Amino acid sequence: MLMRRRTLLAATAAATVASPAMAQNYPRRAVQLVVAFPAGGSTDVGARILAAAAEKDLGQTITVVNKAGAGGQIGFTEVARARPDGYTLGFLNLPAVNTIILDPERKAAFNVDSFIPIVNQVLDPGLIWVKGDSPYKTLADLVDAAKKAPGKISACTTGILSDDHLAILMVQEVAKCEFRIVHFDGGAQQITGVLGGHVDCAFDNVGGVFKRVQSGEVRGLAVTDVERSKFLPQVPCTKELGMPTVISSSTRGVGAPKGTPADVVKVVETAFLKAIQSPEMLQKMDAVGLALKPMVGAEYAKYYADTQAQAKKYTEWALKQR
Amino acid sequence: MEALGHLLQGFAAALTPGYLLYAFTGCMLGTLIGVLPGLGPAAGTAILIPLTFSLDATGAIIMLCAIYYGAMYGGTITSVLINVPGEAASVVTCIDGHQMAKQGRAGSALGIAAIGSFVGGTLATVALVAVAMPLASLALKFGPAEFFALMVAGLCLVVGLAGNNMLAALLMTVIGLLFAMIGVDPVRGAPRFTFGVEELYDGIGFVPVVMGLFGVAELLLAAEKRQTHMVEAELKSWMPTRQECRQSVGAISRGTVVGFVLGLIPGVGAIVPTFMAYVLEKRVSKTPERFGKGAIEGVASAETANNAYANASMVPLLALGIPSSPTIAVLMGAFIVNGITPGPFLFKEQPALVWTVIASFFVGNALLLILNLPLVGLWAKLLKIPFSYMCAGVLIFCVIGAYGLKQSLFDVWVMLGFGILGYLLRKLDFPIAPAILALILGPMMEKSLRTTLEISGGSFGIFLDRPVALALLTIPVIVIAFLIFKPRSLAPLRESDIE
Repeated sequence: MLMRRRTLLAATAAATVASPAMAQNYPRRAVQLVVAFPAGGSTDVGARILAAAAEKDLGQTITVVNKAGAGGQIGFTEVARARPDGYTLGFLNLPAVNTIILDPERKAAFNVDSFIPIVNQVLDPGLIWVKGDSPYKTLADLVDAAKKAPGKISACTTGILSDDHLAILMVQEVAKCEFRIVHFDGGAQQITGVLGGHVDCAFDNVGGVFKRVQSGEVRGLAVTDVERSKFLPQVPCTKELGMPTVISSSTRGVGAPKGTPADVVKVVETAFLKAIQSPEMLQKMDAVGLALKPMVGAEYAKYYADTQAQAKKYTEWALKQR
Repeated sequence: MEALGHLLQGFAAALTPGYLLYAFTGCMLGTLIGVLPGLGPAAGTAILIPLTFSLDATGAIIMLCAIYYGAMYGGTITSVLINVPGEAASVVTCIDGHQMAKQGRAGSALGIAAIGSFVGGTLATVALVAVAMPLASLALKFGPAEFFALMVAGLCLVVGLAGNNMLAALLMTVIGLLFAMIGVDPVRGAPRFTFGVEELYDGIGFVPVVMGLFGVAELLLAAEKRQTHMVEAELKSWMPTRQECRQSVGAISRGTVVGFVLGLIPGVGAIVPTFMAYVLEKRVSKTPERFGKGAIEGVASAETANNAYANASMVPLLALGIPSSPTIAVLMGAFIVNGITPGPFLFKEQPALVWTVIASFFVGNALLLILNLPLVGLWAKLLKIPFSYMCAGVLIFCVIGAYGLKQSLFDVWVMLGFGILGYLLRKLDFPIAPAILALILGPMMEKSLRTTLEISGGSFGIFLDRPVALALLTIPVIVIAFLIFKPRSLAPLRESDIE
């Protein structure tokens, strides 16, 4: 009797966790995609293109909701706390999610396990750039200058503990040099800062500045990746420049709060993956300089975990310098 | 001259019926956004971006720009009628605009605002065509050091010229700055004064605060007086009288210049030019005591500066690809989604598009005037609604506005809290405007100061090395010196009062 009751309980529990009826019914109404950065930014542009494309396969409206603030913390918190029913999805920026978790002062209300990474859309590698007429022609020039005058060459980020900030720390580590780190809010301020001659170089991502590199207004010194970017084939990557550990990028993908049923996750994965792999998506993302990097399931989960491990080292280092 | 030829072609394109319709729809929607409190230009434009996805790139941009201008004007309507500024740019309009409405001159206030907006917007666009490219590099001269100096100068001017109530103005500024400290430290990312409340991480929202301090406080005051109508005076005018127009000529021309120049500098925000124009107008006025009690020049200068600023802020965007305000950043995102990357290469790569868009700025400004002048009477009639209905309506309006901003109930509580605070401050006769200015400028000042010190390696000497920053920082010194030594020439000013 006891056995039977237990089996029954287990069966009921299993049915609640992964009810096939749930997936058949999902989605029955509009789905929210929470973007933790403001409307109009690089993250938002990619998310909106993706939402518009995935709607068709999902069969329901996908509303992009911008919950910007505190370097993404507000939006990520919102996702982590949402009801795990598949009607609130989040756009996950890595390593932003990781660094917020790793910084004890931020008292994040979520941790690594709060999200289920479902499908990745973009991998935007970092780009080290200077003014178009700067004396620094190569990354070696810049690094040498920083070595000669430690702490005098200013390098700007798009925000504290952003991927750009970590990239500066990575360069400092391998080149044994020291920059004067200046934190701006986003790419637009970097443009004013560097073109106006207020700072010497900037660490950003390819998507934000590739047009300016193409026009010669700014000079790309290195892409922080294992291969060159297809948008900037003339700019060397850090791996070929002998800095294989300086690998930094901003990746963005779709995730769900912990506890979202596996079959719902599967529906989301299928719809978004199909959208990401469509030819129109490639065309639209090429126009804005964002490289697609579709990753799902175990591959994306591993990437998420690896980013966490890599971010840990540099975040701790950055925190020590405070 | 080449530019002129391009511009004429641009007009030919912008005046085709299809694009005219987009501009018209945009102005309508924008005005609506501006009227709804809480839905400021930035949020409103962002929400409407998907609407433009089905249009071609030019049509989409024309419509979005029209939405932007419409929203900038729409905020005026609620400021004048119910003392609720829908967005930062309308705060100054409340000061004299609502007083005018109370005297039965709502029509005049709205009319002059529409005219001023049109003139300011159009002249700024002319200037944009004429001098955009050479002046664009000005934006780059403004590094963090210059920016900080400009903000300090702006704050000091407003407080310093506050008149006999200077101590109160100073106190309110400090309170504003204190509230501005709440949230995540802009450089280190550590939370300050948040007490573990996550909603506070992003700081106190500006929109709920102004809606509370102005709108809710106004309702409480009116309820206390047991008014039968929000505005008890008879509606006297639908349009500005000839004399009022004459009074406003100078204000409109000065407002245009102030708005345009400050619009060239990225990041200043609409509130600084409107405040500066207002303070300037009061300074040059022969009867500064009228300000704050329904002076039409006050409304005219602020509204003109606001729209001149909005148009001028397109210069850094189009010429340099630098978005100078959150709304412009949203517009830039829309440009990018539509396959247009603003920047120096845009004029070379897609001249037809750029000039069509610039031509559509003219068209948009003109449409806004045509659309709004006839509606002024209609808006003003809203004041005839009995207070019992109006009060409930406005309160619902404010609650929805505060909630809608971030879909956060917390902001509603913030609004109500500041409503009570605003009521008390009004009872005690404390000026509210300096607190709001400080609340907006505080985070910008802090961030730019700290970035400046990061650049200089911690040395304040950087302000002495930079001529522009140094020049700007001498302004507050002069203002303070004047106030200490009290020369005769400033005497009339000290007797008046900004609020």
